Amino acid sequence: MAKTTLKNIHLSHFLELLRLFGELHGPVLSDQGVFSFAPLASASDLQLNYSRTQIPPKKYLLPFREEILHYQKGAYRQAVPYGSETVLFGVHPCDLDAMAYLDRVFLAEAADSCYATRRANLTLVGLSCRPDDFCFCSGPRESAACDLFLQAGEDGFSLTARSAKGEAITAAAADLLVETEKEIEPPACGSCNVLPQDPQLRFSAHPLWVKFAEACVSCGACSVCCPTCYCFDLREYPSLSGGAERVREWDNCLFVTHGEVAGGNFRATRLERLRYRFLHKYCGFTPLTGITSCVGCGRCKEFCPVGIDLRELFQDLPLDCGRTP
Amino acid sequence: MNRPRLAIAGLTACSGCQLTLLNCEEELAEVAARFDLVSFPMAESVEGGAPFDAAIVEGAVSTPGDLANLFRLRNSSRLLVALGTCAIFGGVAAMNNGVSTREELVAAVYGDGEKTVESFAPAPLTNFVSVDFSITGCPPEKQEVMALLCALLNGTLPPLATYPVCTECRSRENLCLLLERKELCLGPIIQGGCNARCPATGIVCEGCRGPVREANVAQELELLLERGFGRKEIERRMSRFKPEWDYGQRR
Repeated sequence: MAKTTLKNIHLSHFLELLRLFGELHGPVLSDQGVFSFAPLASASDLQLNYSRTQIPPKKYLLPFREEILHYQKGAYRQAVPYGSETVLFGVHPCDLDAMAYLDRVFLAEAADSCYATRRANLTLVGLSCRPDDFCFCSGPRESAACDLFLQAGEDGFSLTARSAKGEAITAAAADLLVETEKEIEPPACGSCNVLPQDPQLRFSAHPLWVKFAEACVSCGACSVCCPTCYCFDLREYPSLSGGAERVREWDNCLFVTHGEVAGGNFRATRLERLRYRFLHKYCGFTPLTGITSCVGCGRCKEFCPVGIDLRELFQDLPLDCGRTP
Repeated sequence: MNRPRLAIAGLTACSGCQLTLLNCEEELAEVAARFDLVSFPMAESVEGGAPFDAAIVEGAVSTPGDLANLFRLRNSSRLLVALGTCAIFGGVAAMNNGVSTREELVAAVYGDGEKTVESFAPAPLTNFVSVDFSITGCPPEKQEVMALLCALLNGTLPPLATYPVCTECRSRENLCLLLERKELCLGPIIQGGCNARCPATGIVCEGCRGPVREANVAQELELLLERGFGRKEIERRMSRFKPEWDYGQRR
């Protein structure tokens, strides 16, 4: 039997070892009392039992605001993100699935160079979790979308390497790992618990559409905090000395400006924008048609100031998802 | 390259917006080299000197002198830019417009002196002239003022952020003061671009930048009422930087 179990007492050693693979980041509690992914100065800062961070790990791949092009003296050059190896520890399965989705968007043909650079520098160490009231998922599960996954048990973690990087980590940690008679039972590698919806559902006569459209304050929290929302705005700013920079910044489909073009707006009302959000989130667009991008993390439900939960618009709830409308 | 001719002026205000420009210390030498600062009374260049490529105007209109000044600037400038909350919404000087009469306010401030200043209820620039561009804030953010100047230099106007304070506030991973602390935070309906300066330090958004373009005022009002704030207290807070709101507005 392979030695794949990390006892709790060895966790801090294991974390120190991870520092050999890059700058170590993980879930911490900020001074304001907000869970966030941040550099782990000390193992004692780690919040192993965190529910969810306010901002998902997408910030490591797609920062809120970044320069993507620089123009000077008649020529453009692409911005190159500062690249340092980062190990992100303690990412829950839903957030891992979310990053796998972002990879499909940004690393498909004509890969986004800023994203690709950051992604190549990121090592993901997953961690099992216990769903709370906000989660949309039916129960604990594992995700293969990482380099290494830690399944928490009573007195330790069962490690599963999911990539060459993950194998390198387990090899380096061999002295810390032990063989246990009874391996911690890994739950099934389930996928997203929110199943793809029929695109026609966005035109349903459900009265909640209008109610939500009236209540939405267009604050942007749902997409800022969503691990798979990647819509962005591009703006160009000239400088005093000539030249200019092109900036990419997170956008939200519920903002009036999102569908605005010269001469009009594709989605002038909030109701149209909600339908559009539903379409993108739960039905998918080309080339990801039929692929839901909701990974069930529950952030939109927790952080919406007016309690909008688009899933309430599903008329027929899938039977296997273990939840009630 | 032509040096754009600028007029920078203040009406009824605290001069803080003009000061924001003067506080852009790192860029000032370059600004002076690239622009012809024809008229900037606060920084002691001459008054007059029309025509201008752009007039950047701070403050509300509340005296006949303000009005004459504003008309002169509008008539002699290709672009007129409202700089700061007072110029756009009336600002702090206008907060009592709907509460007290002008006579009461003048008497309270100047007492029974022999001379009183001739004045009327402070009003935004758009009540009197057309405005080509606005930079909000009390005071505006340095980088937005600089973005304006850089754009003017290139013959255009800058694309400033149009989302509410919450967007930047959440992105900075601040604790939500409205949701978690149940405080009277105006973030959802207030124009962002300030990088959530106040909530980041634990102070609620008091709305100094005025309403976001599609402010759901009615819903924000409901949210605050649910949290136990009185209608009067909410209206008082909301009118601090903009005297009149449509409390039934949802978009």
